Amino acid sequence: MTGAVALRAAYAVTWIIPLLYLRYLLGRYRRVRSEMKDLKRSS
Amino acid sequence: MKLLSIMFIVFTLAVLGFSTYQALVVAPTEQTMGDVQRIFYYHAPTAWVAGLCFFVNFLASIVYLWKRSLNADALALASAEVGVVFCTIVLITGPIWARPVWGIWWTWEARLTSTLVLWMIYVSYLMLRRFAAGSQTPVLAAALAIFGFVDVPIVYMSIRWFRTQHPQPVIAGGEGSGLDPAMWHAFLWNLLAFTCVGIVFIATRYNLQKLENEVEAEHAQLALRGSAR
Repeated sequence: MTGAVALRAAYAVTWIIPLLYLRYLLGRYRRVRSEMKDLKRSS
Repeated sequence: MKLLSIMFIVFTLAVLGFSTYQALVVAPTEQTMGDVQRIFYYHAPTAWVAGLCFFVNFLASIVYLWKRSLNADALALASAEVGVVFCTIVLITGPIWARPVWGIWWTWEARLTSTLVLWMIYVSYLMLRRFAAGSQTPVLAAALAIFGFVDVPIVYMSIRWFRTQHPQPVIAGGEGSGLDPAMWHAFLWNLLAFTCVGIVFIATRYNLQKLENEVEAEHAQLALRGSAR
């Protein structure tokens, strides 16, 4: 593995992991918010 | 509050853009390692953020055990989760740097091993939170977090206490250590950028946890009303 390839790989990892985590958080947020709305409607 | 959050996110994105430019373009190329040294501008700040998150988790766990505050518990959970995300980046970018520089991906030396142990401690914390049932789970998790935090100073001090393959400290490492001023700029900008990202993630996860707690309370109330009829 050359230095340039390693730098690109590390750079990609540094961004892909937080972006995946952000996607997971926002998806979970959407689900919980809609659940809250349903609960408020049914109560 | 919402405007303040949006402003902080915009600021974080701007700092991220600028720090990336500093790390990849402005910072001089290191003479021995070449471009691969630039991984340092991501590796070290993400390690710092992971340590910071675990410190927040440690404090929040103490507050939870002391006051039984649900907000402290939510903050402990949020900071542990974000800490694991950043620690994962550290554990992946480290070997990517090591392969071209050392010729190996991994070695069982003090810094690397203690960091892996740290990651495993907080993954167990999250697994405990996720899979254990019962009202005592947050208490057990808080106790684990307090003892688990002991590994953070061990990770930090490992390259000072032991003869390791990991590079010796360049920051606060005493005589003969240090960085070129242009490298310092790039490093500090990245430190600021990743700290801001960490804060945004913790705040988002904390608010999500509070919302989930509200949903749980609402479910309990509905169940109570149902059984009272």
